[in-house]
Amino acid sequence: MANPSRRPRFLDVTRIRFPVGAICSFGHRVSGVALAIASPLLAVLFTRSLQGAEGYAEAANWLTPLPVRAALVLVVWALAHHLLAGVRHLLMDVGFGSALGTARASAWLVNLAGVAIAALAVGALR
Amino acid sequence: MRAVASGTRAWLLQRLTAVYMLVFLVLTLGRCAVDPPASHEAWRNWIGTGGMRVATVLFFVGLVLHAWVGLRDVAMDYVHPLALRVALLALVGAGLAAFAAWMILVLAGL
Amino acid sequence: MRFSIYRFNPERDSRPTMQNFEAVVGPHDRMLLDVLLRLREQDDSLTFRKSCREGICGSDAMNINGRNGLACITPLAGLKEPVALRPMPGFPVIRDLIVDMTQFFNHYHAVRPYLVNHEPPPERERRQSPAERAKLDGLYECILCGACTGFCPSWWWNPDRFLGPAALLQAMRFIADSRDRATAVRLEFLDDAYRLYRCRTIMNCTEVCPKGLSPSRAIEHIRQRIVKEGL
Repeated sequence: MANPSRRPRFLDVTRIRFPVGAICSFGHRVSGVALAIASPLLAVLFTRSLQGAEGYAEAANWLTPLPVRAALVLVVWALAHHLLAGVRHLLMDVGFGSALGTARASAWLVNLAGVAIAALAVGALR
Repeated sequence: MRAVASGTRAWLLQRLTAVYMLVFLVLTLGRCAVDPPASHEAWRNWIGTGGMRVATVLFFVGLVLHAWVGLRDVAMDYVHPLALRVALLALVGAGLAAFAAWMILVLAGL
Repeated sequence: MRFSIYRFNPERDSRPTMQNFEAVVGPHDRMLLDVLLRLREQDDSLTFRKSCREGICGSDAMNINGRNGLACITPLAGLKEPVALRPMPGFPVIRDLIVDMTQFFNHYHAVRPYLVNHEPPPERERRQSPAERAKLDGLYECILCGACTGFCPSWWWNPDRFLGPAALLQAMRFIADSRDRATAVRLEFLDDAYRLYRCRTIMNCTEVCPKGLSPSRAIEHIRQRIVKEGL
C-alpha cells in the first residue's frame, strides 16, 4: 500500500507560467528585502553627510567609485519598484483597480516604470 | 477565542507607515530634484532643524516598523522550523531596533 | 497533437516523470478533455479525474502549459505544443494528474460554509431582497475546483495554515449573506496572521478561476470588513 506521506508535490516554479501581477508582486518582495539590507548602508551615508563640510565631502567621495554607483542604480530600481507596487496595493485596498483587466495593466505599468526610472538613474549617475 | 497574532494590526501598521513614508519621500526627494540644497550647511540646516527633523525621525521609525512587518511576512512564508524562525526574527528585530535608536540619536544630536 | 504529461504511479515509481504522447485529434474534438480521453485508448494507465465535461463539477482541474485550468473547458485551438500537463501545484499527488484535496476541503470546512442563524425559523422562508441577494453574486458560483488555491504562492509555502483563496471566498460568501448571523465570529476566526493574512494580493487566483470569480477581491472585502468592525 503506497505511503501517503511520500506523495510528491509539483512545485517546479520554472514550469509555472506566472501572470504579470505575480512578477510585480515578486519584485515587490525582492525590492523590499533589498531595501531592508541597503537601508543601514544608506543611513551611514546620510549620517556622514550631516557631519560638517568634511563629512559631506567624504560622503560624496564614497559615491564616486563605479561599483558604488552601480549599486546605487539597483537601489533606485528597488525603491522605485517597491514604491510604485506599494501604491498599486494601497489603491487596491481602497477599491481602485482590483478588477483583473485593470490589475494587469497597472502591474505592467509598475514593472516598466521601475525599469525606466532605473534607466534614468543610469543616465544621471554615469 | 482570539487568535494570538492578529493579522490586522500588522497589516494596518504596514499600510499606515507606507503612506507616511510615501508622502515624506515624495516631498523630500521631490524638493532635492527641483531645488537641491546649495551647500553642506543648507543640507544640514534643512534636515537638522524644526519640523523637518521631527519628520525625519518619524520617517526612520516608520521605516523600521514597516520593514519589521515585511521581513516577518517573508520569514513566516519561507522559514518553517519554529525555533529557527523565532531566532531569525529576534535577530532582525534587534537589528531594526538598534537602527532606529541610532538614527534617533544622530538626528537628536544635530 | 503532441503532449508531455506528468506521470507518477506510487506503486512503481519513486519519482514523477514526464511522458510524451502523440494524440490523433478527432473531427469533433474541441476541448482538452476530449483528447485526454483519446489518450487513454493509447495508454489506459493514464489517470485523471473528470465528470461533467462542462466546467461545473471542477473535477479536471490541472496545470495546463504552466497555468491552472479545467481540461473540459480549455479549447484545443491555441494550445501551444507540446501541451504540458501537470497536476495542480502544491497539492500532494496521488497518481498522475490526481491530487489529494483533503487539506483543501479541511480549509473549506474550517470557515463554516453554511448559514448560521438560530432565530426561530419563519413560517415560509428567511426573506432576502434582490439587492441583498445580489451581494452573493461572484461568490456563490465557486465550484471548488481548487485551481485558484493551487496557483497561489502564499498557499504553496503554507498549505496547512493559510486557508487559501477558495476557502476565503466561501467565507466571504457567508459573511455577505444577509440571512447569516455569525459575521462577528467569522471575522474573528479569519483575523489571524496565517489564516487570512498570508494573502499578499498576488492575484494569481483571479487570473486562473475558470468561473471568472475574483477571490482576491473577496479577500479584500473581508479585510475591509474586519477593519471596519474594529474601528
